[in-house]
Amino acid sequence: MTMLEITDITKDYGASRALHPVSLSVAKGEFVTILGPSGCGKSSLLRIVMGISQQSGGEIRLAGQRIDMLPPERRDIAMVFQSYALFPHMTVEQNLRFGLRMKKVVKAEQQRRIAHALDICTLAGLTGRMPRQLSGGQQQRVALARAIVMQPNLLLFDEPLSNLDAKLRDTLRHELVALHRRIGATSLYVTHDQAEAMAMSDRIVVMNAGRVVEIGTPLELYRAPKQAFTAGFLGQTNLLAITASGRTGQLPWGQPVDLATETSGPAQVSVRPESIGIRACDQASGAPATVAGVSFMGASALYTVAVGDTVLKVSQAGGDALIEPGRTVALTFPERLPVLEDRGREDREIEDQGRKDRLRTPEVA
Amino acid sequence: MTALAETTPSQATRRRTFTREDRLPVAVGLYVFLFLAIALPLGLMSLWSIADGWPPPHVLPQSYTTERWAGVLGDSGLLRAAINSIVIAIVVTVATALIALPTAWAMARFPFRLKRAVEIFILAPIIIPGIVVAVGIGQVFLALGLAYSVAGVILVQIVGTLPLMIRLMTAALETIPDDLLHAARSLGAGTADIIRHIVLPLAVPGLLAGGLMSFVGSFEEFDKSFIVGAPVVETLPIKLYMYLDPYSMQLPLASIVSFLLLLPALVVFVIAGRVLRDDLMAAGMGKI
Repeated sequence: MTMLEITDITKDYGASRALHPVSLSVAKGEFVTILGPSGCGKSSLLRIVMGISQQSGGEIRLAGQRIDMLPPERRDIAMVFQSYALFPHMTVEQNLRFGLRMKKVVKAEQQRRIAHALDICTLAGLTGRMPRQLSGGQQQRVALARAIVMQPNLLLFDEPLSNLDAKLRDTLRHELVALHRRIGATSLYVTHDQAEAMAMSDRIVVMNAGRVVEIGTPLELYRAPKQAFTAGFLGQTNLLAITASGRTGQLPWGQPVDLATETSGPAQVSVRPESIGIRACDQASGAPATVAGVSFMGASALYTVAVGDTVLKVSQAGGDALIEPGRTVALTFPERLPVLEDRGREDREIEDQGRKDRLRTPEVA
Repeated sequence: MTALAETTPSQATRRRTFTREDRLPVAVGLYVFLFLAIALPLGLMSLWSIADGWPPPHVLPQSYTTERWAGVLGDSGLLRAAINSIVIAIVVTVATALIALPTAWAMARFPFRLKRAVEIFILAPIIIPGIVVAVGIGQVFLALGLAYSVAGVILVQIVGTLPLMIRLMTAALETIPDDLLHAARSLGAGTADIIRHIVLPLAVPGLLAGGLMSFVGSFEEFDKSFIVGAPVVETLPIKLYMYLDPYSMQLPLASIVSFLLLLPALVVFVIAGRVLRDDLMAAGMGKI
């Protein structure tokens, strides 16, 4: 069942467009992440869903009801902010109770929900503290608990972990995933951190320059991205131009590769560094590939390999000995390489339909 | 306030921790300053107020009398004037806060054109001497029938108390982040709830600081009240200044007047010190 349905939401700032028609849907209980670089419009979209920013056009439905005309306090959505946004003059417990008081939940029910939220956010014993007496991680957990007690139809997260240090971010990420499994709240999560998005989400919505680039599960988007932007933003990749005919493509230096889809003419493939095989080989068959540099990362070694004019990133896991720079190597490519759709200008122009679109996109994250 | 925020990081890097060795010189310096600025004048004033003549060569007065104190305190008009002053000060403070709140909200939250100009316009009454304002307003009030009335005195005093109140409230409201209001909204709070549960509690430091300033400012205000209200409306300062003989230096009486005018400020600040928690005090001083 679809819980949230966003249809053709746009946002204009004067003549410049921050959001081109954006559509996406979130199923009940699903955890969907909007991923994109800063300024891509992901936070604007989240704020529009919350109702603290006005869309220029489009429609939002929550549990079947149109909510885009409602003020935020009547949307049945709770939000966790990057800045935590805890009320500094209230204790932890008063912070949690605030929303319930506003919604006129009866006292016994308030008590039950607060106790439950404190328990699952591991905040027991901190109820009487003021926000400034808490660490960053604790504050973020209070912010989360404050959203959970509302039992909203939808939970929004605006980069909630980005103010925390790396280690704490990791812990809280795991807690968040575990928590989502337990309470199964429909969640829309915004981040610019691809590792966070991959680890937490059921589905990822990749955004860039005010547009949805691609939507898919973390696995789909990583293994078989359809857009060059997705391939480059989720992890590292090599984007290679090929000349294709049927299921076979030819790399710039003539090496043939197997393609996942039938294609003809010039195209582009994305090859992950770890999916390219590399071994030292004195007698190069075909184009001469030479190791230009190597950096040892612990679990793997990352090589930069030059083949003619092309420079490839190749990562090798394990490996007893590093291949020294200057050595000639043989590269093997995986089968069924995903071919990128060259979704060029034509599609975008159809979307914009004659609107005067300045390419300039303001910083709105 | 924005200028203040911009300079904070550089101040933080220059900040030196307060060490144990610093305690003595800092304490000595502060106490010497307090003695010279407060204790010494107060001591001299109390001596003058009870001295029965204090001719130059003597370090201390030769004889003492409580006659002047009895004379001033025995005046039944004094109590009436004091009550007048307290009532006027309370009304002025409340009215100032009510007028200042929306203005400060706008100044703190909304960017608009010519904001600097508006800021200077708001502070203008502080720059212009009270007597100039009073003479100008006095004419208008005469025409409007507000002269020699309590309402007139209250109005003219608000002119003086408003700028500082707006400034302090603006500073307090500027510290409330937008996300806090958004969060309150997302939790189901309407505009009235947000003002009551979020904005007002967080504006308390500014309100208290502004309120104290307004109360004391109103209580001790002389020139504007005198021109608009005297001789019909008698506030404590007007009454007390009348004890002073314009043709000769009356140090003993002046001392008594000073003491009585000091009293409300003292009482208010002692109460404030008790009521205000440390953090609120700090917040009122822009440290949050």
